[in-house]
Amino acid sequence: MARSVQEEVLEIVATVIEKNKGEIPLDAHLIQDVGADSMMALEILAALEKKYRIAVPEEKLKEMTTVNKIVQMVMAAKKKNK
Amino acid sequence: MPKERKETMKNSFGSEDIKKLIPQRFPFLMIDRVMEASPEKVVAIKNVTASEQFFKGHFPGQPIMPGVLIIEAMAQTGIILYKQIFPNDKVLFLVSVKSRFSKPVIPGDQMVITVEPIKMMSKMGIFKAVVMIEEHKVAEAEIAFGSQDAKSA
Repeated sequence: MARSVQEEVLEIVATVIEKNKGEIPLDAHLIQDVGADSMMALEILAALEKKYRIAVPEEKLKEMTTVNKIVQMVMAAKKKNK
Repeated sequence: MPKERKETMKNSFGSEDIKKLIPQRFPFLMIDRVMEASPEKVVAIKNVTASEQFFKGHFPGQPIMPGVLIIEAMAQTGIILYKQIFPNDKVLFLVSVKSRFSKPVIPGDQMVITVEPIKMMSKMGIFKAVVMIEEHKVAEAEIAFGSQDAKSA
């Protein structure tokens, strides 16, 4: 379960940032190390909300710094949904 | 807020009130009237007339409204949507557009532009826009915008 969410999140991040999945280490800082900007973060957030039918508040955007942190956030939000 | 907006059921207003919300002016004001405005949805119309400047060159003898200007109309409607949620925020910049056009827009058409938020935040957002002419969808887009400081943050 956790693994598939991780793969799906990586897929979304890679699509928005326009990089190959292999170029995005799971713990790399997306803005500082991978070259994303905060608008891309917003696009990632919108894609996640649509895919997982979750609502992510604006403050969470700052915490979405790495793929792994996004995965944790998605898992927590999904749990809350149930 | 202008008084007349309270008098109509769905919060519709004309170009003078539109100008209070968006900075674009002739010949770049791409919406004529807002039919409905709320934080969940804005519907605007643009009457496309034969006297539009751009028809002179796009194209001589075969007037077709440029797709980029249809996107401009969607973006301007999007600013109105944003201002329903954050009335005091400054002008924002276009960040990304994913669009699809299905039918040319020609003189005499009335574009009905409907925008709905996908995600709206202070200083940035993404919204969905659909343009209809009568019952036909002519264009749709997903548009992201942000302020300059949001982009560099």
